[in-house]
Amino acid sequence: MAPFHFDTVVVGVGNTILSDDGVGVHAARALMQDPRLRPGVPILDGGTLGLELLGYISDARRILFLDAVDSGAAPGTLVRMTGRDLLDGRSRASVHQLGVADLIAAIALVSGKDPEIVVLGVQPATVDWGTSLSPAVHASVARLVEAALDQLRAWQPAAPLLRRRPRAAKRRPHRTTHHRCC
Amino acid sequence: MPRVVVDPVTRIEGHLRIEAQVDGGAVTDAWSSGTMFRGIELIVRGRDPREAWIWAQRICGVCTMVHALASVNAVEDALNIEIPDNARLVRNIIAAAQTIQDHVVHFYHLHALDWVDIVSSLKADPAKTSQLAESISDWPLSSTKYFKGVQDRVNGLVASRQLSLFGAGYWGHPAYHLPPEANLLAVAHYLEALRFQREFIRIHAVLGGKNPHLQTFLVGGMTTSLDPNEPAAPLNPERIDFITGVARTAAAFVHQVYIPDVLAVAGFYPDWFGRGEGLGNFMCYGAFPQGSIRDPHNFFLPRGIILDRDLSKVHPVDPGNVTEYVTHSWYDYSDGDQVGKNPYEGQTKPRYTGPQPPYQFLDVDQKYSWLKAPRYQDKPMEVGPLARLLVAYASGHAEVKALVDSTLARFKAPPTALFSTLGRIAARALETQLLADHIVGWIQELAKNMATGKLAIHNGQKWDPGTWPDHARGFGFFEAPRGSLGHWVEIENQAIKNYQAVVPSTWNAGPRDARGQRGAYEAALIKTPVADPERPLEILRTVHSFDPCLACAVHVVDARGKVQGRARG
Repeated sequence: MAPFHFDTVVVGVGNTILSDDGVGVHAARALMQDPRLRPGVPILDGGTLGLELLGYISDARRILFLDAVDSGAAPGTLVRMTGRDLLDGRSRASVHQLGVADLIAAIALVSGKDPEIVVLGVQPATVDWGTSLSPAVHASVARLVEAALDQLRAWQPAAPLLRRRPRAAKRRPHRTTHHRCC
Repeated sequence: MPRVVVDPVTRIEGHLRIEAQVDGGAVTDAWSSGTMFRGIELIVRGRDPREAWIWAQRICGVCTMVHALASVNAVEDALNIEIPDNARLVRNIIAAAQTIQDHVVHFYHLHALDWVDIVSSLKADPAKTSQLAESISDWPLSSTKYFKGVQDRVNGLVASRQLSLFGAGYWGHPAYHLPPEANLLAVAHYLEALRFQREFIRIHAVLGGKNPHLQTFLVGGMTTSLDPNEPAAPLNPERIDFITGVARTAAAFVHQVYIPDVLAVAGFYPDWFGRGEGLGNFMCYGAFPQGSIRDPHNFFLPRGIILDRDLSKVHPVDPGNVTEYVTHSWYDYSDGDQVGKNPYEGQTKPRYTGPQPPYQFLDVDQKYSWLKAPRYQDKPMEVGPLARLLVAYASGHAEVKALVDSTLARFKAPPTALFSTLGRIAARALETQLLADHIVGWIQELAKNMATGKLAIHNGQKWDPGTWPDHARGFGFFEAPRGSLGHWVEIENQAIKNYQAVVPSTWNAGPRDARGQRGAYEAALIKTPVADPERPLEILRTVHSFDPCLACAVHVVDARGKVQGRARG
């Protein structure tokens, strides 16, 4: 049975058939394969969100979202936001397209908890149909993964989530066109 | 990294835009425009058809499994594959769970706030709310203290201005009719429904391996192998017990919370049994096969069409009669705009000719939507829970008939009252009850098969592409929570040559066709009263009653063509 109670959870968010919109999912997949991450750290392919994710994250103490974020910056630009930033912002799209802010509000409503939330995002170049990332965003995936590892390290200085040293073993190249989806 | 707050945050996907003409306090005409799903064939063309479902399930972020299932159905139809009984059962259980989940979420989290005024709930007397709750249901969470606690929590949210999920409401609008106590009751159940859906969807975690984006589908069956003696098997007696418990808990919630709430809310809005009717044509592909999917006669919810509100006759459905028009859609067909094309011959050549944003209006005499206009024998159809229930009712489905008739009797309403905005809401609730009453039985069938050594869950006879014909095509259908979903696949030389999906929201939210016939939303909005064009709550009520899978932006236009109100919801 899938575990539902985590201390820390990483959620990649986005649609992998809308090119750069899927950058968060691509980064989450790369993170899953990163040798520095210990097995057992829950990393979710959250797809395009929805309340269904609530069961996986509502009991977590810390949640790290990886996502495409339209901040008007140059494609590939990384941004970092906290859950508080999102709730304080004007952000309010619609309940039909649950945003990260809605999910955070739902966690508070359903569990009364106030988890620590960080969103690491990349500015997309295109969100048109397609399964590949644009060059600028493709190049940002490695940086997004590094930023995610930095965040996990900051949360857990004793590093139970991370191995102490990167293994010398060669890292698998990150694929952007998946013939099998996992 | 710069630290920024941005709006909108992420999810850059499409939305639905309604332009409504309002004269004399009511809608006189409406146009529905949406961006959606125009490129799945670009994604899957040339791929292995056995993998199409993995891509197709990304079409929709809200209900991913529906496209996965329609896709494997289409490929199995093309290759003439029968799936084992256990695979049928697992698919039916997954589908029923998805429908129950979506309907509860729709009522409480996507639609209730069109009827429930959160701010008014702050004025409620918790003791009277408790009395109200106990008068309509024996649900245990009904004490004065409980409702006081809910009220305090909402008060805290309002005080901290972090309403977020509640932020889009038109609080205080004159079209809200619930007394404060009923509003507080509904808000309490809004919160309980958040917990409900969090627990209930564990059925998908068990049967789908993971969620969202279930991983256990397979052309020819499922990967959820059954093993009565293996603790690590995807399905064993322990897991069957677990999902049975989850399903039983859910059924209690549906009976004791969801249904009483829908009935109570409907009682305060009787006018809405007479508003929002729309087309009067309803289509259902049929759902929950009890045997081979090739024999619609065994479906738990029957296949059929109802025309012109006539419940005395159910017409057959032949997917060959489905066509799509692009007369008012931003696409080109090679043989012109006036023809309808069956999805097997479907073409997707986008050509945007609309105004460049920012703009005030769409040119609705020309092309005005990214949705095509699907038609059945050239007639527009409404699809969804109401269509399914009406087809079942008119087909003489005893259980559906009893459910519908007893509900109508409570309101002293005739069956024609179902052709309405409230009718859609009631049909969705009754369908949820029907499925909640049956899902445990389907789980028990699975358990029985396992206990008697009937363990097959995948038919691998045609797994090897070498066994396939050079050319094949298939139609896969599924009644998604929002309505009839069809996938059409053409396979040539072991790869996908063409692929088209006609989704429920295209049927309902699509634009006019070559003959100028309105789509379902467009028709349903005619005569909708609009008390305050700046805050078109009534329009949202009817659009939301269809459960659109897109965020909806409403633009209200007065007789002189001036934009009066804009709403998002």
